[in-house]
Amino acid sequence: MTEVTLSNVVKKYGRHQAVHGIDLAIADGEFVVLVGPSGCGKSTTLRMIAGLEAITGGEVSIGGRVVNDLPPRERNISMVFQNYALYPHMTVAENLGFSLKIAKRPEAEIERSVAEAAAILGLDELMERKPAELSGGQRQRVAMGRAIVRQPDVFLFDEPLSNLDAKLRTQMRVEIKKLHQKVGNTIIYVTHDQVEAMTLADRIVLMRDGYIVQVGTPLDLFNQPVDTFVATFIGSPPMNLLAGEVSAPDRITLGEGLAVPVPASARGGLRVGQKVQFGFRADNLMPVGHAVEEAGQKAQLRLTVTLTEPLGTETLLFTEIAGTEVQAKMLNPRPVTPGETFDFELMLDKCHIFDAASGNAIRS
Amino acid sequence: MDRNLAHRNRRRALKVAHFLTLFVVMSIICIPGLWIVLNSFRPTVEIMAKPPVWTPSFTLEHYRAMFGGAGEGGVPVFSYFRNSLIVSVVSTAIAILIGMSGGYAFARYRFRGKAGWFVGLMLFRAVPGVALSLPLFIVFARLGIIDTHFGLILAYVAMNVPFTIWLTDGFFRQIPKELHEAAEIDGCTRWQAFWKVEFPVARSGIASAAIFAFLTSWNEFALASQLTRSVGSKTMPVGLLDFTAEFTINWGGMCALAVLMIVPALILTFIVQKHLIAGLTFGGVKG
Amino acid sequence: MFRRRLPEWFVLLLPAILVIAAVVLIPLLFSLYSSFTPYRLTRPSSLWRWVGTANYERILTDAKFWSAFGRTVLFLTIVLNLELVFGLGIALLVNKVTWGQRTLRTVLMFPMMFSPILVGFQFKFIFNDNVGLVNNVLQSTGISDAALPWLVDEKLAMFSIMFAEIWMSTSVFAILILAGLFAMPRDPLEAAKVDGCTAFQTFRHITLPFLMPFIFIAMTIRSLDVARAYDIVQIMTGGGPARRTELLWTLMARTGYVDARMGLANAMGYVSILLSIVFTVYFFRKLSAARAELGMGG
Repeated sequence: MTEVTLSNVVKKYGRHQAVHGIDLAIADGEFVVLVGPSGCGKSTTLRMIAGLEAITGGEVSIGGRVVNDLPPRERNISMVFQNYALYPHMTVAENLGFSLKIAKRPEAEIERSVAEAAAILGLDELMERKPAELSGGQRQRVAMGRAIVRQPDVFLFDEPLSNLDAKLRTQMRVEIKKLHQKVGNTIIYVTHDQVEAMTLADRIVLMRDGYIVQVGTPLDLFNQPVDTFVATFIGSPPMNLLAGEVSAPDRITLGEGLAVPVPASARGGLRVGQKVQFGFRADNLMPVGHAVEEAGQKAQLRLTVTLTEPLGTETLLFTEIAGTEVQAKMLNPRPVTPGETFDFELMLDKCHIFDAASGNAIRS
Repeated sequence: MDRNLAHRNRRRALKVAHFLTLFVVMSIICIPGLWIVLNSFRPTVEIMAKPPVWTPSFTLEHYRAMFGGAGEGGVPVFSYFRNSLIVSVVSTAIAILIGMSGGYAFARYRFRGKAGWFVGLMLFRAVPGVALSLPLFIVFARLGIIDTHFGLILAYVAMNVPFTIWLTDGFFRQIPKELHEAAEIDGCTRWQAFWKVEFPVARSGIASAAIFAFLTSWNEFALASQLTRSVGSKTMPVGLLDFTAEFTINWGGMCALAVLMIVPALILTFIVQKHLIAGLTFGGVKG
Repeated sequence: MFRRRLPEWFVLLLPAILVIAAVVLIPLLFSLYSSFTPYRLTRPSSLWRWVGTANYERILTDAKFWSAFGRTVLFLTIVLNLELVFGLGIALLVNKVTWGQRTLRTVLMFPMMFSPILVGFQFKFIFNDNVGLVNNVLQSTGISDAALPWLVDEKLAMFSIMFAEIWMSTSVFAILILAGLFAMPRDPLEAAKVDGCTAFQTFRHITLPFLMPFIFIAMTIRSLDVARAYDIVQIMTGGGPARRTELLWTLMARTGYVDARMGLANAMGYVSILLSIVFTVYFFRKLSAARAELGMGG
């Protein structure tokens, strides 16, 4: 069993505090993605788990064993770095077998493990090459192979795909997921890309400014963001947010003569006069006739389209509600010219209400 | 069309001027050295001839005399060569170990006053050899290590360490620190990570730093001329003066010894040139 | 796990610090002390007589010292500036070459690797009034009837020494500036061309600012061993004839070893050390400033 537990983990650089008392329990075999904007402390956290950064306070344990002061080599982990960190003076085969050689394993075993890893990642043809002779994607694979060979308790990935171009990134994303299904080890993966987080994770840990903002499955974060930060960080396009005020127990005024009923989910958590942020995704604002047929409470809005982004199966429509630009979606699209006006329906059940001052979601 | 033609002619003229200037510059750089080599093969009579003889004849007399032991007024070239070699090799080996350790500290650790430490070390390199030779002469004389290989080696180690630090710092900084981290995760201790990963990767750079240090020792005169006295410890630069008597100079013999000094230097330069430039500029530019 | 040891970086630096302290710092402290005594090698007991700043007062009022000092500063100023200009020129020339550039670069490095003593000897030979190459050529081609006293006449001797020094050290500049040119990004140059800059304007406003850090590295490296000129002068003229080419360093060596007046020589030594340090610190500062300007710090 190799669960990883962080309890109240703190990292300080002099006076600057990078990580503020993080608590996190990762189950055996789980794929956890740490995501957040740059400088949120996600890489620092990963490096503390790896043993590459000293832990200022709190406790990190791997497989039930506190590892705070153990050097990386005694933690039985492996790590894939953003710039791959392949040893430039060794061939691919030597790179793969390096950790076993250091551990003084018998020659035959090294060869077998290296061959296995090479087979999994399709590296057989490249074994005698040096890293400088490989393409970006190949280097990425070697880096992953090196991690596999070691048969670690935990895999750590530090933004492994950010140096690849968009197409390769999608491809490698799938390979990483397949790899996880095949080997089943615990994986902790750091990225700043929410799409990577959504597609890969069993559970996402969203961080900001050294704090964990929300932990949950991708769908949890998508459907029940705890605050406006999560709401705008997860999902593409980001959630639309409109400033509003609770004008009656069951009404929110969004601007001049525009009011919507309070969604059932938030009723009871609001008081009259409260300033709020009214949030909804583009998927929940669609023109009548181009929307998902779905039961539920709806609000009708007549809006003028200012800009369109056709994506094929759907078209993103840019429009304005009460002076704020919002994005809507059109299914089964037809050509739309800017300036055209549509009747939109807003799925009120899928809307979110956040407190304007704190940004926290309001749910009853 | 006329303007095109004018530009074309101008470009052609510039090309010729460029070539000629380059030729003159390269001649100035090459001729003095070649002249020495040429004269080492000319008989003394011809070197001294007035009016000058322009069609050179060929002789090995100076080399024969030089290697023939105590020829040419008894200049023991063999001993000088051996002394130079011992002193340069040993001092280089020690300086590179010490310098590597220091360079690694500058490249991989953050600490207070780093820039100050660096400049401070460099300043010791700036102390003129002559100025240092005065007190070193007195101190070494007291310690009884004057006129020994050991004394000179010690002095050269100290002289070479600052610059070796400058160079190795540059080379280590070119290696991403993730390599070291990856090695540690792969099960290495810090010590193993250094010797199995960082050192082999920086190997060519370190080799060129070593050769640079070697040449500094090989060529040094100001300290050696005071700290060595006898055949047992004098190095070649000091030995060169043996050919100078009060009023006469054995030009041919000097030229032959000079060639013996230059050849290893040139070969080594040729080997390291690429890495040396990289090391000097990287460390300096990237701060 | 508590670590109550010295920090690792310090342990790694320790050997360097120790060897430099032992071989450079302590002797220098000793020489500082002895510069306040009338120490003569021939009379060891004189080491214990404190004369205060008498040695310094003496050299400060000594016309011979001042003329050597002035000559040294003048020598360094001329030589360093010319080396920079020639180095820059050569680098630009070689940079334009498309064929055989590597070979030229290697050739360029050779003078750098010559022993200064060898350079001195080489030019002593070439400038020799009797058998030297220069006079032989001048006389054979009829440009000059009489042999020119290259190493005897004051002006000619200084010229010869400077020529030797420049020959030896220009390549430091050329090589490093060339490295700078190689590292130079193409885009700004092309942008400037498209924007209508002339070749000179491009050089002045784009190339030169980019090269500045490289120029200062070369200057810093050079300033570390300006005193190598001692070797050259020592062998070419020995500071003579009649002190006409005396530099600070030759004067010091003469005072210390020939006249055996170590106290006095050490006082001069300190002046020369100060001179070197001023040069080095000056260029180090310039280097950091140039780096900061280009955003290369870090």
